[in-house]
This record gives sequence, structure tokens and C-alpha cells, in this order.
Amino acid sequence: MKINQKLFLQFGISIIFFGLIGILINNLTINLIRTGLGFDFSWLLKPASFALAEHPLPYTSSDSYAWALFIGWLNSLKVIVSSLILATFLGTLIGFARTGTNSLLGLISAGYITIIRQTPLLLQLMFWYFVGFLGLKDNMFIQIKNIFNISNKGIELSGLTFSSEFLALLFGLSIFTSAYIAEVIRGGILSVSRGQWEAFRSLGISERKGVIRIILPQALPAIIPGLTSQYLNLAKNSTLAIAVGYSDIYAINDTIINQTGRAIECFIILLISFLLLNLLITNAMEIINRLILKSQRYD
Amino acid sequence: MLKLYTISSTISFKNARKTLFSNSFNTIITLLIILFISVACFNTFEWLIFKANWKVVISNLPLYAFGSFPANEQWRPATWIISLLSLSIFTLWGPEWKWLRKNLLIVWVGTIPLGLYLLYGGLGLSPIMSRQWGGLTLTILLTVCSSLLSLPIGIVLALCRQSSLPMVQKLSSIFIDVMRAIPLIAVLFFGQLLIPLFLPVEIEIDRVWRAIFAFTLFVSAYIAEDIRGGLQSIPNTQIEAANSLGLNQYQIIQYILIPQALRIALPALTNQSIGLFQNTSLMAILGLVELLGIGRSILANPEFIGQYIEVYVWLACVYWIVCTIMAVLARHLEQRMTINQANF
Repeated sequence: MKINQKLFLQFGISIIFFGLIGILINNLTINLIRTGLGFDFSWLLKPASFALAEHPLPYTSSDSYAWALFIGWLNSLKVIVSSLILATFLGTLIGFARTGTNSLLGLISAGYITIIRQTPLLLQLMFWYFVGFLGLKDNMFIQIKNIFNISNKGIELSGLTFSSEFLALLFGLSIFTSAYIAEVIRGGILSVSRGQWEAFRSLGISERKGVIRIILPQALPAIIPGLTSQYLNLAKNSTLAIAVGYSDIYAINDTIINQTGRAIECFIILLISFLLLNLLITNAMEIINRLILKSQRYD
Repeated sequence: MLKLYTISSTISFKNARKTLFSNSFNTIITLLIILFISVACFNTFEWLIFKANWKVVISNLPLYAFGSFPANEQWRPATWIISLLSLSIFTLWGPEWKWLRKNLLIVWVGTIPLGLYLLYGGLGLSPIMSRQWGGLTLTILLTVCSSLLSLPIGIVLALCRQSSLPMVQKLSSIFIDVMRAIPLIAVLFFGQLLIPLFLPVEIEIDRVWRAIFAFTLFVSAYIAEDIRGGLQSIPNTQIEAANSLGLNQYQIIQYILIPQALRIALPALTNQSIGLFQNTSLMAILGLVELLGIGRSILANPEFIGQYIEVYVWLACVYWIVCTIMAVLARHLEQRMTINQANF
């Protein structure tokens, strides 16, 4: 294609594209004027006047909408980070069980992976919430006085309390993600050639030490990218919190929309908070990746 | 990624001593697992047969299948689901008639207009509002329509992202990256609440189509990335060869790039459609009574209150079975594609 032709084509495409956007925005303004809402963010500073069951920082219903949204973002971050750790732990265990020599263990983990991966996450979350936690009898399931206490209100661990909503979300997300992480780990382990296993065994290095010192460091470069995308999926999936009544960023946005009708503004806030979360996760993983590469170089 | 794990490949009893009882640690683990499996199996069967009250499932079977579709018209969605099932069975184990095999794709695509006709009615059938659709029928309809729509859009987006025009390339990259960064529920929410705001007052799209539109937007971004992976794995020499044969740009795309990219991306595309099938359950939160939504509304019925386990186990089984059918079909398609390639 000639340069003139290219320029002309791009010009045409941008006219069509921006024309379309213009029509949509025009429709939007007409509709917003019709409903009498307009487009502004000044409502963010008004009192939210709804209560939140869970807040890592002090919050009362007279605080502003902006603060409520920030609390929701922190709640999201809390459940994402904790299920990320639990899912990695579980997934690594299952991934190793799946690749290990014990074929019965391999079979069980394969069964676990298929069952978890072929049923919807939302169904699993509801199962954990309604059957796993709300199904428990009041204060009766396991009780060791004042130290460890499981009930339908959640888990109490020597003063620390976790609500059943948080725990259902934590378990559901971690177990769902662990099945995917297990496959990532398995792929990484399989990417290390068999010769490496045979070599450390013939050198008389113990199985555990060999896996930690020889197999894992070589598998990690293959594992990290897959792990990052699973973590991003976990962050996105955490928005299903609304199904179990945990007040994460999406649930709070939903409440605010129901209260104020400011759908467009809330949607923009939701997009920005997710871009922030994604940036946080990708940057953290990038740092971890660099640290791993560095440590390997000096070893 | 998604595989059906076959038992025969994992366990071979000849090597049982070597794999299961190689050392004391392994023996302990094996024995513990056997104990665990037997206790779990015993409890599960005891619960399945004696404790569970399956009335909540059995008496509501039509609801799970068709939602609140009028009772005397339920043969219509039933026909559609049965035709889909029999077509799957035929595809997998049917006779090897060449003319039929060649047109199988057209038959598969043809099931969508058939389904829409049967559900909507008109032309001799009494019309039925989409408000009354539900259950497994709606779940399958959402999956099939959105995946069929998002495939061409995904291909176009992938080609645009590879385009030499910076404007086109930037716009499609932005769309793909933004869609992949935000959670599905936000996109669905956009579809349900915000699309009406962007349309003139006179135009109204019903909820099911708004949901299909949102799913299509979301999935096409993921499909575009899968297909881009396929496109990038095609060696540049092929394009040079096509150029020297005198094919123009569109012929290269149509005959060289797309068929190969699709074949390479097929496993990833399968995962996308299975994921899409599972994700249609999100519409239960946003007010459509598809399979999970029906489960929720049945549990809200005072007659069946508290019977969560039965309903959830049943729903999990249904989802699992359909996912497995989809995976088996996709594997069949993959095998067929590699056979065709070998004959080529």
C-alpha cells in the first residue's frame, strides 16, 4: 500500500470510529438530562449512610462515599492477597502430587483438578457460603475455648475474627485458583528435562533437596508468567464476592448505584480501581521475577 | 489446557509396587489415601442414597431444563436440546459419509437459527417473550450465540492488532487490553445497566441480547489474543511464498493465515468456550434465570428451603457433564483437523 492510501484509510476509519463514539455520547447526555442526573463526581464527598460489616480501617455510615469506596478497595485487596497465598500453597502441593511418583496421589489430584475446573466458580462460592459456613450449627462445630472457634459467624482465632463471608470467598477463590495453579506448576516441572532428575538422584542428593535446589529453580522461569496470569484472574474473580455478601469494591459500587443511580460514574471508578489492582499485581510479579533471575545468576 | 484425565494412563497395576509402595513414606501416603477414599466413598454413597432428599431435583426437572417456559410449549426447547445432543453423538460416533461430514459445520451453525426460532416462536408457533426463557436452555443459548458471534470479531481484532496501520493497531490493542483487565461481571453489568443509556430512547434491546452482547465483547478480546498467538507462530516464509505466488493481501489472510491460526489456537478456543459456558452462571447475579438462577429461585421456595447441598450437587453435575461433552467434541475436532492436515 502507498503511504497516501494508508493515510486516507486511517483517516476514514478514525472518522467512522469517532463519529460512532460521538453519537453514543450524545445519546448518553440526552438520557442523563432526561433522568435528571447529569455527570459529576461531587456526590463522592456526601455521607454514604450505609453500614459495612467489614472494614479494615475505621468506618461509620456518616463517612463519605469516597471513603466507603476506598474501604471496599482495601477489602478486595485483603481477600485477593490472602487467597493468592493460600491458592499458591495449595496449587503447589497439588501440582507436585500430580507429577510425583505415587500414582494414586496423582489420580486423586487429577480428579480434584477436573472437578474444580469443570464447575462454575460462582456455584463453588455459593456452596462454600451456604453449605460450608451458614450450614454450621451456632457455635457448636469445633470449639476450643477462646482459642479456636468455628461457627456460622466465621472463624475466631485467639482474638482475630474472620467473617464467614470472607472465609467462603477465601476458600472458594483459593480452591478454584489452586486447580489452575497446579496445572501451571505441573507444566513448569515437566519443562525441566528428565536428565536433571536422574542426575541429582545419581549424585545421591535427597529427593526433597533435589526438588528445592535443582528442579524448582529451573522450573520457575516457566512457572512465573503462568502464575501471574492466574493471579490476575483471581483478582478479577474476586468481584464475585457480591454473591456471598462480602463488601468488596464491586459490591460497594453496586450499593452506591442502587442508592444514587450514578451508574456511569461508578463504572468509571470500578474500571480505575481494577486497573490499579492489575498494575499492583503485575508490578509485584515483575519484581519477583527479576529477583529470581538475579538470584539464579549469582548462585 | 483442559484435558480429560484417563485412569488407564495414570495407574498401571504392574508397576503398583514400584509407584505406590516404593519406600516407607510412599507406603504411608498410599495407605492414608486408600483410607481417605474408602471413608469418603462410603459417606458419599450413604448420603446420596439414604440421607439426601432428591425431591427438590426430581419434582423440578422441567424448571431446570426450560425455566418458566409455558408448559404446553416446552416441547420446543426440548426439541432444540435433543437435536443438539443427537448432533453431538452423531458427530462423535456417526457414520463416515463424506458429503455429510463436509457439511457438518453448516448443520452445527444451523442449530442456532433453529433454536432461536423454536424459542421465539412466530411463523406458526405462538410467540414467547424472552422473559420466560430460562434454565439450561438459556444457559446453552447464551453460550452458543456469544461464542459464535465472538469468533469472527476476535479474528478481526487479532488481524487489526497485527495491522500495519498504527491507528487501527492502537485502537484494537486498547480495546483488547482494557477488556482483559476488567472483571467479567463489570462487563455484564455494563451490558445490563449502561447499554440502554447509550442508546436512543426509542430503541430497546431485551435483556438476553444485552447479555449476549456483553459476553461477546468480553470473550472476543480473549479470542483475539489466542488467535494472535496462532498468527505469530506462522513463519514469515509462508507469507513470502504466498506473495511470490501472486496472492493479494486478502487472499493471504483468507487462505494462508486464518486456517492455520485457527488450527493452532483451537485448544485455547475450546477453553474459552468452556469458560464461557461456566461464566454464563454470572447472569444469575444480574437477574437472568439461567441454570444457576433457577437453582437460586428454587432454593428461595419455602417448600425446599435449606436443601442447598442437593441443588448445588445436582447443578455441579449438570455443568460438569456439559463441559465434558464440549471438551470431548473439541478433542474430536482437533483430531479431525490434524487428519485433514496429514491428507493435505
